[in-house]
Amino acid sequence: MSTAVSVVPRQSVWQFILSELKPKGPIFTPFNVISVPTILAGLAIVVWRFAFGLGSVTNLTQDYPWGIWIGFDVMTGVAFAGGAYIITFTVYIMRAEKYKSLVRATVLNGFLSYLFYAGALFLDLGRPWHIINPIIGNSFGYNSILFLVSWHFMLYMMAEALEFSPVVAEWLGLERARKILHKLTLGTVIFGVVLSTLHQSGLGALYLFCKPKLHPLWYTEFLPVLFLVSSVFAGLSMIIFEGTISHRVFKTQIDPKKHHTFDDIVFGLSKGAAVVMYVYLFVKFVIFVHGQHWHFIMTGWGWLYILEVGGLVLLPCALFTHGYRQRRIGMVRLAAILTLLGIMFNRLNISVIAFNWQLPTRYYPSIGEIVVTLMVIFTEIWVFRWVVYRMPVLRETTEGNRKT
Amino acid sequence: MEYFHYVNIFETKGLEYILVIVFMITFVFFVRNLDAPLKKNGGARAGGQIPQLGDTIVVVKDKD
Repeated sequence: MSTAVSVVPRQSVWQFILSELKPKGPIFTPFNVISVPTILAGLAIVVWRFAFGLGSVTNLTQDYPWGIWIGFDVMTGVAFAGGAYIITFTVYIMRAEKYKSLVRATVLNGFLSYLFYAGALFLDLGRPWHIINPIIGNSFGYNSILFLVSWHFMLYMMAEALEFSPVVAEWLGLERARKILHKLTLGTVIFGVVLSTLHQSGLGALYLFCKPKLHPLWYTEFLPVLFLVSSVFAGLSMIIFEGTISHRVFKTQIDPKKHHTFDDIVFGLSKGAAVVMYVYLFVKFVIFVHGQHWHFIMTGWGWLYILEVGGLVLLPCALFTHGYRQRRIGMVRLAAILTLLGIMFNRLNISVIAFNWQLPTRYYPSIGEIVVTLMVIFTEIWVFRWVVYRMPVLRETTEGNRKT
Repeated sequence: MEYFHYVNIFETKGLEYILVIVFMITFVFFVRNLDAPLKKNGGARAGGQIPQLGDTIVVVKDKD
């Protein structure tokens, strides 16, 4: 009896990874043409920032120590990444198998968001080498909310890396490792959900000690609750937005049958978002009434507040509801975009716009801050695209992976 | 502790109780409205599906 001999040469892991680093697809696309110069310019600014300090690049002052690198990158980015803990909770704990096809892409998006947006926190520290202090115990700061946030960011990134690790093992053809890592998923999901609920609210709690500085329309003792509840519909809207774009950009990666079921999934997410937004609106209204802030409404700050709550929460909630009821996918997508704008506006209002509202001087981000923020966004998209084209994130088969 | 002012977040001004009750009632209606079956004549359409003639025109039969 003869033994079959494999004609496929066995690649080492490193050879395989090196071969995968080669670009796939056209190079001169509109996105690449815009993003590459922005990333290069952003990198140059980052080098400049570390060489000559924060003041050489940013418009930050002692009155405005936190700018858009915190307000957008960290506050907004972490809220947008909330989709990962929502979808893993829904699929692995609530056993809603309908949404399982979203898990890998959402977890990848969440992990990269934390890696890049929360990683941007490093740029904003005046003495960045002190970032290690809460970890090594040089100055734990048990009473600080930042102590909780820093540990949670680190642990949650590890949890998300573990949740995504079976995909990497599958890509590398390490079947035994994939099985072991897959068995860890449920425990990691529970750990990740607990961490998420705490640090999403923890980011709101950071502003609890800013009562004299934050405008009364935005300051409330319930800020942690509002941050947590809003992260739920922010995450759901991000899944709708990111999923819709992915289904167009990466359509070759997705089974054609799944293109039809995706609309049904989006309607399910829109229903969830509508219900949570309804609760959020009620909490906002009770806080408004409880704080007796009526006299602020007819001021410029009041109009800003009405735009945020009415135009970018109430309106998308109504659109989600109507879109779900009438099965209008376009309306649901529009609602998701408005919701994301609303979250961005809310986080920037709290951290930048309505912060130090009584001071005569205002903070406006410098060109350098804007370019670095765009660099962070574009780099995350580049890495997301690189991973999706190579690993089984949207596709189910392992075809094209390393031959073993 | 002269600079510390304790804020009792559970202190209400009366109106909050009414708001909570109103919210709970409207929330039930809101969720029921989301899950309620659509009227056949109400324009419900599966994503992108072209409405059929029979979906939009109701033929009323004579009672005689």
